[in-house]
Amino acid sequence: MPENQLVEGLGLDEYQYGFVDEEAHVYRTKPGLDEGVVREISEHKEEPEWMLEFRLKALKIYESKPMPTWGGDLSHLEATLHEIYFYVKPQEQMERSWDDVPDTIKNTFERLGIPEAEQKLLSGVGAQYESEMVYHSLKEEWSSKGVIFDSIEDGLKNHPDLFREHFATIIPAADNKFAALNSAVWSGGSFLYIPKGVKLDTPLQAYFRVNQERMGQFERTLIILDEGAQAHYIEGCTAPVYSTDSFHSGVIEVVLKKDSRFRYTTIQNWSNNMYNLVTQRAVVNENATMEWLDGNLGSKLTMKYPSCYLVGEGAHGDIMSIAYASDGQHQDTGGKVVHVAPNTTSSITSKSISKGTGRSSYRGLCKVYEGAHNARSNVECDALLINSTSRTDTYPYIEIEGKRATIGHEATVSKIGDTQLFYLMSRGLTKEEAMALIVRGFIEPIAKQLPLEYAVELNRLIELEMEGSVG
Amino acid sequence: MSNSPQAAEAPIAEEETPSSLDESAVERISEGAPSWLSERRRHAWSVFEDTPFPSTRSEEWRYTDVSRVVNLADLRLVTDGGLAENGSRPAGLVAAMEEDLAASGHAVLVDGSVVHVDLDPALEEQGVILTSLRSAVHEHGDLLEELLATEVVPPEDGKLQALNAALWTDGVLLYVPRNVKLDLPVRVTRWVSHAGSAVFARTLIVAEPESQLSYVEELLSDDFDQRTFVSSAVEVIARDGAQIQFVSIQQLGRDVFCQSAQRTLAHRDAKLDTLNVSLGASVTRLDLNSRLLGPGAHSELLGLYFGDEDQHFDHNTSQDHVAPDTGSDLLYKGALDDRAQSAFRGMIRVHRDAQRTDAYQTNRNLLLSDECRANSLPNLEIQADDVRCSHGATVGQLDSEALFYLLSRGLSQDQAERLIVLGFLGDVLARLPLGGVVEKVTRAIERKLEHV
Repeated sequence: MPENQLVEGLGLDEYQYGFVDEEAHVYRTKPGLDEGVVREISEHKEEPEWMLEFRLKALKIYESKPMPTWGGDLSHLEATLHEIYFYVKPQEQMERSWDDVPDTIKNTFERLGIPEAEQKLLSGVGAQYESEMVYHSLKEEWSSKGVIFDSIEDGLKNHPDLFREHFATIIPAADNKFAALNSAVWSGGSFLYIPKGVKLDTPLQAYFRVNQERMGQFERTLIILDEGAQAHYIEGCTAPVYSTDSFHSGVIEVVLKKDSRFRYTTIQNWSNNMYNLVTQRAVVNENATMEWLDGNLGSKLTMKYPSCYLVGEGAHGDIMSIAYASDGQHQDTGGKVVHVAPNTTSSITSKSISKGTGRSSYRGLCKVYEGAHNARSNVECDALLINSTSRTDTYPYIEIEGKRATIGHEATVSKIGDTQLFYLMSRGLTKEEAMALIVRGFIEPIAKQLPLEYAVELNRLIELEMEGSVG
Repeated sequence: MSNSPQAAEAPIAEEETPSSLDESAVERISEGAPSWLSERRRHAWSVFEDTPFPSTRSEEWRYTDVSRVVNLADLRLVTDGGLAENGSRPAGLVAAMEEDLAASGHAVLVDGSVVHVDLDPALEEQGVILTSLRSAVHEHGDLLEELLATEVVPPEDGKLQALNAALWTDGVLLYVPRNVKLDLPVRVTRWVSHAGSAVFARTLIVAEPESQLSYVEELLSDDFDQRTFVSSAVEVIARDGAQIQFVSIQQLGRDVFCQSAQRTLAHRDAKLDTLNVSLGASVTRLDLNSRLLGPGAHSELLGLYFGDEDQHFDHNTSQDHVAPDTGSDLLYKGALDDRAQSAFRGMIRVHRDAQRTDAYQTNRNLLLSDECRANSLPNLEIQADDVRCSHGATVGQLDSEALFYLLSRGLSQDQAERLIVLGFLGDVLARLPLGGVVEKVTRAIERKLEHV
């Protein structure tokens, strides 16, 4: 694999998901993007005409929108986008049985612990490799109750009406440049529907893996919870470390009907050469609750602001975000809550840690429209700085119409206190152990919301990252 | 560039008819001015021409569309103060001046031109300078050449800053020498009388090491029926160990667009506090940048706004911690009624070397009607690790418990609401209890509350 040169000896050794598999694709488009590529993707997926038209229109929107000038440094992205593969098909068809997944891909996910997790504690699993879902399964118990958990492509094929009713209604192609790009070239992602009153007691999980060098992954996920339904969806992301940059731009649309409750957990651990520009939005109806739990640990640059549009009376939105920016990383993350209906409530809690030359930025919006009487929102952002070269920013936007809202925002920035360190070291801990302990305590309010194995993983990662960080 | 001697006596502009805001105005204002100044104005004009009009697409102007607020082509430039020293003065101006008797000195500006200056002779003897910029151009040319519209508020700061630097007609210079301390404030009253006019004034305040001063200015006018533009550039320098309190109380009439660009430089161990009170004008835009340049420097940035009807306030502040061991504390509070709107955008920037910074920023908004609107963007950019920084922003309604308590004490709903608003805003004044200011502002708020 001549073009797959692993970066070694750059101090990235602790990234344990950086391994590369043999390239195993059965088809890929030429590098770069034009109308032909979009048509090819649509043709390969045997899509209805309306979807091709949607994609082509989105491509025009993408081309007409300027590159954002805010957020992270996107100055090299244009060049990257000319070189990457927008569509890489890893196998002929999606499998329902783990045994049928090709060995190379299977090995990858086994190294990532996917089938084990499925057996132990998941209601269903989806795994995406390059541009396509390679595996999807759902426990019999749930499918018999009418739950649909499928690849987005099969969602379109098998449930065309439900799909078309909601697709791109939450995040239209013109929402932003990268939503437009995703709309043009989307491939892979999940289609999830939970029927009225069905409550999943264990999480569903989707796993995203990019293996190919110079690859763009554009998963599209559409989630619909019918009245009174409940579910928890977890996604994880990894990729090998290459010397060239890769690109991931997902669009996740969530519709929560009356009285439903949904949690979407992301543990993003892309390699440090990945641009991760994602649009996630939930429309939350009457008395429904949406929770975004967003953990951003990897990538070169992440720009991602999960949002809740509280459109039904009594709707609630919760956004919890952890960002960890190490050397060379910029985590530009946060959340948006938009209060449209009366008696809606929301909270955003953000914790960020910047280490080495890492930079973490909180960017958020709290908007209350005039009719949203008695809206309440609270935003808290805390940032921890480990080194003198680390950087943190906070950019909250608070836009309030009318007197009947109660909104608060607070942010603090601190470094690890000498007295805290001194105390722990006097108890026999090394400085590294003490720092790791303090960092763990700092993120505890969010980490404790994570499923156990993710919380353990997060802690382990922080310990690794703290090694040798003491100057 | 030296002060040209033959220009020493010539007044800057004498024509009676106001002119439009164009390059010929720059030339006319520059007539008889020393070459460094004409050069500087021309440069500012070229920066103005090269700078695009602020658009709401830029972060700094997100909430105020200046192109809809003011059309420069409709304005007439007033280069000559409308009232002579002994001419009749508008009642509002006289009333304000009468309140300000206890002072180290006074300056009165009418339509951007200084019509009166007085200074305690004892201070004059110690080298304190309080004078119009027009005279200072000739009498203190070196000081102005060094500091006016150069490093503090240069034209490069923005379109409107450039326009002011090109077209300013007059303003105030306050200079306090080393170790001199002013016990009483310098009081400045600025009156605007012409509807449809554009008034460009500047203020330059320099406190030499270990000196101390306070400066209170008040901007006043009647209500107009035509958009009127009042532009200010305020440059404040506190050298090592100096202490400055700068207060600006804006009670301009309706239909005024009041735009003010202020920057304060605090050197080693200096203490430099500002208070901006915005009560008047239809549209107010304040750009305030506090720079902490020497270890031990500290700034408080206080602000208060109260809007009704269609008033619009846009406060854009920043605290730049450049040197280590510096502190800053910002508190901006506002109340909004009717369809009033406010935007607060604050930035704490901790530069790479500014270790051990203590920086705070709080913006609180009280909303009194269903149609009012508050936007708050308290930002942090931190590049040093050993810092203590926090910010907070709140938007809320009248505290129902406080209201209930006051009603139970026999106050009417209106009385109770007024009291709560006054208490809410009064917090800010308590932080800078300068003689006369608290009373003056409290009265102004009370007058406004009577209409609520």
